[in-house]
Order: sequence, then C-alpha cells, then structure tokens
Amino acid sequence: MRTLLIAGLLACATAASADTVSVETATGTAEVPASPETVAVFDVAAIDTISALGQPIAGVPQPLYMDRLEAATEGAEPVGTLFEPDFETLAVMQPDLIVVGGRSSAQAEALGQIAPVIDMTIWGDGMVEQAKARIDAYGEIFGRQDAATELSAALDDKLAEARETVAGKGNALILLTNGGKISAFGADSRFGWLHGALDLPEAHPGLSSESHGQAVSFEFLAETDPDWLLVIDRGAAIGAEGEAAAATLDNPLVARTKAAQQGHIVYLDAAPLYIAGGGAGAMMHTLDEIVAAFTPDEG
Amino acid sequence: MRRWLFPLAALAGLIALSLSLGAASFGEDAGWLLMVSRLPRTAAALLAGAGLALAGVVVQQVVQNRLVEPSLTGAPEAAMLGLLAVTLLAPGLAVAGKMLIAAGCALAGMAGYLALAARLPREDPMLLPIVGMVYGGILGAIGVWAAWSADLMQYLGAWRLGEFSGVMQGRYEWLWAIAALAGLLYVIADRITILGLGEAQARSLGLDYAQTRALGLVVVSVITALVLVTVGAFPFVGLVAPNLVARWRGDNLRANLPLIALGGGALLLAADVIGRLIRYPFEIPAATVIAVFGAGVFLWLLHAAPGRRHG
Repeated sequence: MRTLLIAGLLACATAASADTVSVETATGTAEVPASPETVAVFDVAAIDTISALGQPIAGVPQPLYMDRLEAATEGAEPVGTLFEPDFETLAVMQPDLIVVGGRSSAQAEALGQIAPVIDMTIWGDGMVEQAKARIDAYGEIFGRQDAATELSAALDDKLAEARETVAGKGNALILLTNGGKISAFGADSRFGWLHGALDLPEAHPGLSSESHGQAVSFEFLAETDPDWLLVIDRGAAIGAEGEAAAATLDNPLVARTKAAQQGHIVYLDAAPLYIAGGGAGAMMHTLDEIVAAFTPDEG
Repeated sequence: MRRWLFPLAALAGLIALSLSLGAASFGEDAGWLLMVSRLPRTAAALLAGAGLALAGVVVQQVVQNRLVEPSLTGAPEAAMLGLLAVTLLAPGLAVAGKMLIAAGCALAGMAGYLALAARLPREDPMLLPIVGMVYGGILGAIGVWAAWSADLMQYLGAWRLGEFSGVMQGRYEWLWAIAALAGLLYVIADRITILGLGEAQARSLGLDYAQTRALGLVVVSVITALVLVTVGAFPFVGLVAPNLVARWRGDNLRANLPLIALGGGALLLAADVIGRLIRYPFEIPAATVIAVFGAGVFLWLLHAAPGRRHG
C-alpha cells in the first residue's frame, strides 16, 4: 500500500526533488526527507496526529500520559522522556527524521546531531489552524495526503458539530485546578480555542494568555457567574495524586454560580488538552466531550 | 498603654480593608460573603503571619542569631520532602496525618541544621544564615529531584509559593492551632529568652536547656507544617517581624511576643491585600509580595544590625 502511494507520489511529483519535501513547521518552512522510514517523535500532539494518519512511529518518549497513545505506539522503542531524550538509544536507532514540539523544542539542536529535526510546536493563537497545518505537513512528509485530507475533514465536522451544540447555550469560563488552587484561561490562551473555534462566549473577557492562566479566587468565580465551567484538572493530567478538581470546586461560593446550579460544570479530560494540545485525536476527544456535555438530556 | 494605640489602630484598619476587598461584590447577602470568604481569608493571613513570626523568634533565640528564621533552617524543605513521601506512599492520608508527618520532618530537618550550626565558628553572624540557605538549598534540591522523578513538580509548586486565594470557610481552620501554640509560647516566654543567653548561662540560671530547646523547636516545626500544608511557604516573615519589634522595643520577649505576633500577622495580611489589589480581580501570591518587600528589609537589617548580637 505504501509503495503504491509513494509510486503515485513520484509519478505526480512536481518541481520538488524526489527525496525531500518542503513543509511548514513552527520555525518556518523546512526541507524534510520525504517518506522517512524510521521516525522518532518527541511531542505528544505530534504522536497523536501522526498515528491518526496511520504512520508507524519507531521511537516515542515515556511516559505519554495517555493510554490511547500508549496503545497506538505499543511497538515503538522508548527514547527518553519529553524533556530528556535518550541520545544513546537514538544513535543506535538512526532515525531518518526526528519531530520535536512544545516541551521538547529545547532539545531540537542537540537532536539535530543525530538526524534531521523539525519543530512542530502548536501554541497560542489559532490552535485549530495550526493543528490542520500540521496534519497537512505530516501528510506531505509521509506521503499520506489522502489520510490527511480525511483527518482534516473529520476535525472540521467535529468542530461544526460542537459549534452548533454550544450555540445559544450561554457563556463559559475555562478553569484549571491544581491542588486546591484555581486559575482561569481566556480566549487567547493555550485552551482558548474552545472559545474561538466554537464561538463560545467568554464569561470574563480580557483574561491574559499566560501559559498557566490567571490565578483567581473562588470569589472571582462567584462574581463572574459563568453559565458553564469547563474544568481541566492539572493534577489528573500528570497522574498526580492531589485534591481532585471536584473536591476543590465543592464549596459554597462555586455553588452559587449559574453553572453549578444548572449542573453545567464540565470536567474535561486533562491530558488531551494539557499534554497533547493541538493533536488531532486529542482535539476530537475534547470536542466529543463538549458535545456530550452541552447536549440537553432527552427525557 | 499609648504605645499600643497606633499598632492596634493600624491593624484594625488593615483588617477592615481586607474584609472589604475581594473579587466578589457585596450584594444583599454581604454577611454570608463575609462569613464564607472574607473573614476566613483575613484570619488565615493573620494566623499564618503570627505563627511564622513567633516561630522566627524561637529559632533566633535557639541559635542565638538574629538573622536566622525557620525558612533558613531547612524546616520547610524537610517538611516538603515529608509531604512528597506521603503523596507517593499514602496519598489518601487524612490532613492531620499529613501535618504530623510534615512537622516530624521539619523537626528532623532543623535538628540537622542545629548539628551543623554547633560546628560553626561563632565569630561571624552571617555564617549561620548562609549555611542555613545552603542546607535548605540542598534539601530543596533533593525535593525537586524527587518531585521531578515522580512527576510531582506542579504539586511541589503549589506549596512553594504561599498564597491565600484558595482560603475559605472549611479550608483553613487548622491554622487556629497556631493561636493555641502562641499561648504556649507566651507561657514559656521567659525560658525562651534565657535560651538566647546560650547554654552555659542558661544552665547556671537553672534552666533545663535541652528540654526547653526541644519544646521550642517542636512548636516551630508544628507551626511550619501547619502553615505549609494549609497555605504554602512564605519567606522572611519570621525574620522581619521579630527584628523590627526588637529594634523598636528591645529584647523583653514576654512583653514583645504579642507585638511580634501582631506584626507578623499584619505583615502577611498587608502582603495578601497588596496581592489582591495589584491585578484586581486576579491574584498575586502573597509570598511573592513578601519576597520583594522582605528582601529589602533583610538587606537593611544586615547593614544596620551588626553590633546587636549576643555573645
């Protein structure tokens, strides 16, 4: 199947040379070896999207924090952690391409000694556009354009479904809990695509886009009084045992918000948002959760 | 008691400010908001600040050095190590158990520091705080390494910067134990003062030195653990409040303990109020505010206080 695809690719190859493709990365346009056989990927969002395209990955970091991806990359060799690549194993593996992003971006230069590296970080504004640009780029690199088109379309469908579901249901506040403390996130933050891509109004416009949100008090929640609370439990994202989000929010000040009174406190799975932000599968998983939460119970 | 008038008036003003300040606005149920959120937050800052200041006095008397405070003896770092161990081995442990373990570890950490301090030459008062910083740094590094290996860095971060944004009714009551400990300290204030004269002097005055010192350190560990587990770590409070009071009123501990407690409480409450104001309605951790302010006062003390040490 793959040889067929590559043959097809070669047949319709334009000016691009047969052995490299040029794709858009986080650091600008890059020339990447075409159809690399052995790939090591150090970014969970990238692992998510590349496996969704059906491309096998030879080396992944441990832990990935997500069971679904652990299962999808079962045959892959562990090559260190998100923050610390295992250079010896990589040197033996001799990958044709290494993908870094987000937490592993800092290692791009060091990894460049071993193989060609691309930085596919997805961050900040225009999360959805970036996610789709990455899908296209991986499609080009691995010669899986058809799968990429399909995946992009599937993501668009989910976004449209979610947009439709949340329309007219009121405003929302994105909240990250960490132990007993809370911080709020606005439309241009790392989770802000939930506002922007879904046209979901912000309960408190003007929150800054710091990567760990704005520290707020429970009084702030009572005052903002959102219709919906979208809660991400940071402790759960990294498997830490701490005060769970539900316990943190179980207090009289939160109980007075419209969100609490109408049962509109939505606990989103943390890892897809916090660890794999911008991965195609992760985004769809979150969108499914939103659709399920915002769909009124029949009965 | 004219000299009490000004500090009490200032404190009352600060409390009133704290009660009227918050992200929520007073509606028809102002009383409810006060009970659930404002009073607890104000009380928590006062109690934590008072506790840290009193712990600071005790440590300063024990090591006979004005420039040392609990956070310069490895106590908070050791308590954090204990809390990390609890998180890894027995995450479901009740709060009381966590506090006990944190207090035990803080005590062990301080014992290690005192063993180090006993071997230091006494000529230079700067040696003790510097050694304390290095010692605390080493313990802290072990904690960071353990947290890093176990993926608990974020969890550690929640304690390292003390703040009161999460305080409300039902989430701070442990801090009232500090009030009881303050009463205990008041009872043994004279003995703590004698501790500050050094072991030989204290013994000749008929004090059971080892027992008194142990009691003082247990109180310090418990206060450290209570504050750390409930609201996190705060630098400098134990240093600044006792020193300011000593410069103003001298060294009569029994007379000064209430002032030191009020001073520490006012300091932390002021820091929390400032932290609530700077980026209203968002929060700046009180520990951050204290660190900026405390560092300045610490530098001033270093320049101004070389001549006033025991010996």
